[in-house]
Amino acid sequence: MEQIKTENDGCQSDGVQLTCFSEESDGDVLLHFQIIRLRKQIYVWIGCNSASFGHLYAALPTRPSNAVGVTSLIGGSSDNTGFGIARRLVLKTGLNVVLACNLPKNNPMLEASAEKKLLHKLISLGYTKPQI
Amino acid sequence: MRTSNPAFPVRNTSLCLDINGHKTDIIISSYEDHILVMATQIGSMGTILQASLRDLETVVALNFRKEGGVTTDPTYSISVVFGKRDEPMLIACARQLIEHISNSGSSKTLVLSLGLRDHSLGILKTIVSAVTEKLAEVI
Repeated sequence: MEQIKTENDGCQSDGVQLTCFSEESDGDVLLHFQIIRLRKQIYVWIGCNSASFGHLYAALPTRPSNAVGVTSLIGGSSDNTGFGIARRLVLKTGLNVVLACNLPKNNPMLEASAEKKLLHKLISLGYTKPQI
Repeated sequence: MRTSNPAFPVRNTSLCLDINGHKTDIIISSYEDHILVMATQIGSMGTILQASLRDLETVVALNFRKEGGVTTDPTYSISVVFGKRDEPMLIACARQLIEHISNSGSSKTLVLSLGLRDHSLGILKTIVSAVTEKLAEVI
C-alpha cells in the first residue's frame, strides 16, 4: 500500500502569488484582474463588469524565433479579445501565459485599456522578464 | 500570499500541502459560472481539464432534485483541453471533483489544472480530499 505523507503546516507557499484588483475604465466599465504567478507560468483572468470566466487561452514564446504560439483552449477563437491580449502579453513580457478573459469582442478601446492596466501591474509586481 | 479582498467578485482560497516531500500549492477560484482548481508541484499549470454537467436537461434535473423531486443522476462531460491526454487518473480526479461540486448544489463548470510530478492514485486521492474540504469556502 502506497504511503502518502502530507503535512499542512510549515509549508511556505512563496512559490505562488495571487493578486486581485479592479479598475474603472473609460465610461462605466469596471475591469477586474486576477493574477496568479507560478514559478514558470502566469495565469491571468480579466473580467468586464462581471465574474464570468470567459474564454481560456494559452500563449508562450516559441524560442529560438521571436514568434508567439497562442491557442484558445475553452471557447474563443482568434478573433476574440483575449486571443490578441494573450499574444501581445507574451510578446512584451516573454512569459508563459494562460489567460481567461470575458471582454466583449469589437471593442478595441476597452481591449487596449485592459491590456495596458494589466501590463502596468505585471511590471510593478516585477513579474516581467526582459523582452524577447 | 495575498488573498483577494472581500469586494472582489471572484472568491479565492488556497492551501499548501507537502505530499511525499513535494510542495503542492492548491488555489481555488470561484467565478460566476466556473470554478478553477489549480494544483501544482512543478511551477506551472500542467495539464488543464474541463468538467461540466453534460447538458441543459441535466442542469434542470439538478435543480429539480434540489427541490426534492426524484430524477435520474446527472451526467458529466470531462475532457483534457491542454496537456497529457493519456493519463486516466487525471480524468478520474476531475470527475470526482465535478461530482462533488454538483452534489453541493452548484452547476458551475470545473476547470482543473494539475501540474504534478507523478500521477499515482494515492497522490490524486490526497489532492481530491484536500480540494473537497476547501471547496466549501468558495462554492
